[in-house]
Amino acid sequence: MRIAVALPVAVLVALLAGCGAPKAPLVISELEVTKPMPGRSMSAGFFIVTNNTDETIRITGVESPQFASVEIHETTVTDGVSRMRELEALEVPANGSVVLERGGKHLMLMRPNNLQGSVSLQFLSGEAPVLSVDYAFPKDN
Amino acid sequence: MSPKNLIIAIVLGTALAAGTFVAIRSQAPVAPISALVLPAPNPVPEFSLLNQRGEAVDHAVFKGQWDLVFFGFTHCPDICPTTLQVLASARTALAEKGRESLPRIVLVSVDPERDTPEILGQYIDYFGEGNLGLTGTLAEVRKLTDGLGIFFEKQDVDGDGYSVDHSAAVLVIDPDGGFHSLFSGPHVVDNYVHDLPVLMGGR
Repeated sequence: MRIAVALPVAVLVALLAGCGAPKAPLVISELEVTKPMPGRSMSAGFFIVTNNTDETIRITGVESPQFASVEIHETTVTDGVSRMRELEALEVPANGSVVLERGGKHLMLMRPNNLQGSVSLQFLSGEAPVLSVDYAFPKDN
Repeated sequence: MSPKNLIIAIVLGTALAAGTFVAIRSQAPVAPISALVLPAPNPVPEFSLLNQRGEAVDHAVFKGQWDLVFFGFTHCPDICPTTLQVLASARTALAEKGRESLPRIVLVSVDPERDTPEILGQYIDYFGEGNLGLTGTLAEVRKLTDGLGIFFEKQDVDGDGYSVDHSAAVLVIDPDGGFHSLFSGPHVVDNYVHDLPVLMGGR
């Protein structure tokens, strides 16, 4: 049904290495990672991911040294019932974006270890890393 | 109709609409814009649960104040904190407008297996003082939710632990312990700030 169009690693690496190129193939913007609530061991991540290539990019996993586990989830409210499900992948369409926001798709980051001022996220397509980003918690948070 | 008459008609029509708008505005608040009010309050069913201090409470805990009741769980990182934050912000906004009688925020755990009174207490205290958390046995939680028409169901599909599907509504319980009205969501601060004084009236 669904055709996985993961870009070959070499191509992505080459694209990522192309400094001076006007647009990175994959861009994360408006990133926000919530701090775990008191007594809780999980955070949520929200952002916009934009694919500047002509091929669909399938983000199949996210890793973070600050969390034991990171999953891609989607909350839906249908007929007044809120449901949360894990997604197998985040399909970012060619030259398009996917929004991760409250009440919708989001990252669920579980069991933090030594969470200080910032969080690093590494996005994977299959086994291949496609992007790394850092998030610094606001000072007054 | 001649062009002149048409212009007069448009001017008169616009004036009438504007006048009606001003009249409606000046009478506000008249009706809730988001909440659905039940034809008659429905008494909260009997149950026996624990509050966040581990003290046994029954349906009488809903008497004596207005309550905003949400059904959720502390392992929910997304919609539960977002909804509770909306309720807390609405309370703050009403207090800043000078309203003295403010509704209490109540979180009933639909995941009593993991939500101990202590965990629930830490969670709800984050959203302000005076909030109430209820947890206990699954059977007693069911007595409360079934009686109020609230749905919840544990799902084992989550890769790490599990999730719980649950009604997203916020129920308004009156000071007599009656299910008075509900906000079905999406939950918006301004809607609560507008509707709560209407619902609560002088009480």
